[in-house]
This record gives sequence, structure tokens and C-alpha cells, in this order.
Amino acid sequence: MGFFSVLGDFFQILKHTFRQVFKRPFTYFYPFEDREYPERTRGRHIHVRKSCTACAQCVRICPVVAIRMDKEDKKYEKDCALYFDYTRCVFCGLCVQACKFEALFHTPVVDMSEGDREDLIYGPEKIETLDREPLKWRGRRFR
Amino acid sequence: MSPDILEDAMELWFGPQHVSAHGWATKLTLVGDYVVECDPNAGYFHRSAEKVLEYKNFRQGALILERMCMLEAFLAEYPYVAAVEKIAEIEVPERAKVMRTIMMEMSRLHSIQFWWGQFNAELGFFTMALWPWVDREYSLDAFEELTGSRHTVSYSTPGGVKYDFTEKSMKQLNRALDRFEDRLPKFRDMQMGSPTFRARTENIGLYDVKQGLKWGLSGPPMKACGIPMDLRKDDPDPNLAYDMVDWEVPITENPEHPGQSDALDRMEQRFAEAETACEIIKQLIPQIPEGPIIDPKARGKANRLPEGEAYARVEGTRGITTLWLKTQDKAQTAYRAKIRGPCIASYYALKDLVPGSKFADFIVIFGSLDPYPGWWDR
Ligand code: SF4
Ligand code: SF4
Repeated sequence: MGFFSVLGDFFQILKHTFRQVFKRPFTYFYPFEDREYPERTRGRHIHVRKSCTACAQCVRICPVVAIRMDKEDKKYEKDCALYFDYTRCVFCGLCVQACKFEALFHTPVVDMSEGDREDLIYGPEKIETLDREPLKWRGRRFR
Repeated sequence: MSPDILEDAMELWFGPQHVSAHGWATKLTLVGDYVVECDPNAGYFHRSAEKVLEYKNFRQGALILERMCMLEAFLAEYPYVAAVEKIAEIEVPERAKVMRTIMMEMSRLHSIQFWWGQFNAELGFFTMALWPWVDREYSLDAFEELTGSRHTVSYSTPGGVKYDFTEKSMKQLNRALDRFEDRLPKFRDMQMGSPTFRARTENIGLYDVKQGLKWGLSGPPMKACGIPMDLRKDDPDPNLAYDMVDWEVPITENPEHPGQSDALDRMEQRFAEAETACEIIKQLIPQIPEGPIIDPKARGKANRLPEGEAYARVEGTRGITTLWLKTQDKAQTAYRAKIRGPCIASYYALKDLVPGSKFADFIVIFGSLDPYPGWWDR
């Protein structure tokens, strides 16, 4: 291997390095930006209380008993309050499929870390609203 | 073995804390650099899946099965679904059959991509580990677009499938497939042309057909010996669409040791499997019929099953996966479910296969059989 061929290899490597410097990074600047999740993403749920009929199908199908129901708590005529325990939920999607009244949906929000275990039990006030738009909450974009 | 050799033998536990021992532990007895005894220990990954199945109803059960092996989730959940369909006599629509088959082959492809990278990582060949994993990302994207989850897909259900193909998910699927098909020959040359890789795998972990049958191996470890045993051809499932495709069982025959396979042959075999999977999917995609994806009566039928027994099996990525299900009359849950994963055989094969080889070759032999601990700890 001559001196010039080594030099040639060296320049090849430099060329690749320079090309990468001006390319977009493949990673995301995570807490501030995120990729787009598909429509069917099975993230945290949202409960539409207006159309809920308290039929308890979602409670019965859940394989890990993550949903608790409070029939006494009524906002409309036939509805009920649901408590979702996200320390148990495996995001299987069975409850959403079981609901025949279009009252329960998944959202593309998948990052739900909390400092306290208790905060992961989403009560009625938390499960009925999205505290942020699934895709547009992360503030400024970096690229 | 004479007792004086064993005098300065050393006992070494490989796992359960070792990084490439994800949940298994093997006791090795070493004399110098050589393994003289290998004692596989199952049980470190036990999650009582069979017992849990007795408490889940027939629509929830498939979720447990797919967690047995998340790398081949579409394939792993199928035996349970098939067994429930047999007992309840549920008809599956044509469209669902084809969609299931496509996704099962895609799952096989994903599992091979993962194994390929992992095997190379275990050998210390890290460049070749990351490249198939890039392609694996595309497969995962296709799963996510279709089902909403990357690993725990929960796709098949008694009577059909849960999610229909959309235009976007079809595009993702084709993209993953085209990309992998494009890069496979290049990767194959790189892998097989690497002298280091060849030196580490040639004539390592050599066994013949007879031994393989004695241990109960199936799938790629047997096909690498040149035996075309494949459930997809030998016993086609009426609820899958393999009969709509024209394909050959991939086998690997090495002229240097016919009827035997070493780690290199098993690598070759995985390439052949991946090519066949791509071919099957490519042929099936234009043939997807129109129609419903699930039998509307299936939900009611699967709620309460009549008394019965069913035995279902599928050719998984690692070998034959079977499930036996027994129900009592008007049962809401299974009376007993028995899972037989393919890897229990390949894990206990190490007992005869490893002694006599060098310690550094242990992980090569282990990796080339592609065992997944979920399948032996049920
Ligand atoms: S997604 Fe599955 S585990 Fe989670 S609450 Fe719904 S049914 Fe239960
Ligand atoms: S959310 Fe749906 S399934 Fe659950 S109680 Fe309300 S209507 Fe019934």
C-alpha cells in the first residue's frame, strides 16, 4: 500500500465526514421535538362522557383490570366516571374495540411519566380532557 | 472423563446477569479454555403464561401468547387464535386469511432481522449488527402504522384480524420490503465474505440430522441440515393462505458436510428464510381479496366455548410452535392450555452440543440456534 493510496483513503473518509456535518441528524431532540405518531397509535385514552352509557363492556374486557368504574358519579343522564390505572394498562386496545357507543378512544400521547405512582391513575377529570394537543405541544422546533 | 481432569475444572455461570443472556442461565464447567460440561437451566424468565391463560377469556388470551416472544408477535399469537377457532367452529373470511399470512411472514422477516443483528453483536461484529437493525426499524414502522403498536401488536383475534390495511400502512409495508430486498444481497456478501466471521462460525456447533431429531429441533436449525421440513408445506393451515403462493421450502446444503449443519449454515439458512418470506409477501399483496376482515358472529361465539380440545401449530421463525387447549362446556376461560415453544428443544440441545468446544464458541453455538427465553419458560 503506497503513500498516495493511503492519502486517497484519508480524503475519502474526510469527504464522508464533511458530508455528514451538513446533513440533518437522524435523531430527534427528544423532549422538545418528537416524531409524528400514526393515527392508530395506542396511547393514553380519552373518555367522551357525553356518549358513554355506563355499559361496563370496557371494564369487563380489560385483561389486566386497569379500568375502574363509578356509576354514582353522573354528569349526564346515563354516563359514568372511569378511572384508568396506567401502572397496569398494557395498551392492548381491547377496551376501545369493546365500546360500541364511541365513548372511548386512544390518543397518540404515549409519554406519560409522573413523579408519583398515584398520579398515573387518571381520574375522570384527567381522562376526559387532553391537557395538550398530541403533536403540537412541544414548543419550539429545533430544525 | 477422568477425575484428574475435573480436578482443576472451573464452574462458570453464563447469565442470568450477563448482557447477552437476557433471562437465561447456563452453568458451564471449564477446563482451561474448553467447556467439558454444559448445564442449561430454564426458569429464570418464568411468567406463568400457561396458568395466566386459565384466567383470561378467549379474546384476551392471544395477548399473553404474543408476549411470549415479542420478536415474532404475529406468529406467536396465532396458535391460540387457531385453537379457539377450531373449538368454536368459527369461519375466517378470505381477506383475513391473506392479511394474517402477510403479517406473519412480515413478522418472520422482522425476527430474522433482529436475530441477525444480535448474533453479530454477540460475535463482536458490531457494524453488521447495526445495519440489519436499520431495516428492522422500517418493519416496525409498518407494524405501527397497521396496528398502532410496534411490538405488542394484538392483531389476530378469533374470527379474523382487528385492523384493516390502509393506503399508508400498505405503503410502509412495501417500503420496508423493498428496502430489505434491495440490501439483502449486499449484506449477504459482506457477511459471508468476512474472513473473521467465517473463521468463527465454520465447523462450530456441528450436528447431523439424527442428533437434531433426537433433540426435537425444528425449523431453521433442521432445514440448515438439508431437510425440507416445514409446516407451511407439510400441513397447510386452512385458515392461512400459503396455498395461494408458489414457493419452495428454503434449505441449505453444504457439500463439505452433507446432512450436517454448522453455525455458518444456519446463518445461510436465515438468509434463505428471509428471501422466501419476502417472496411470499410479494406474491400475496396483489391477491388480497375484497370483503370483511372479521366474521361478525365470531365475537359472540368466542364468548362461551363448547366443551372441546384443540391442538394448533404454526411454523414460527425458530421452529414449530404448538398450543393445546382444553375447554369445559360453556366455558369463558380455558380449562388448560399447554404451550410448546420451539426453543426449549434448541436450548437443551446445548447440553450435548457444547461440551468439547472452546468457551468463546459457546455464544456462537447458542446464538446460531436462535433461542428466545420466552419460549422455554412458560
Ligand atoms: S388498553 Fe387494554 S389494558 Fe389498557 S385499559 Fe384498555 S383494555 Fe385495559
Ligand atoms: S366507555 Fe364505552 S364501553 Fe365503557 S362504559 Fe362507557 S359506553 Fe360502555
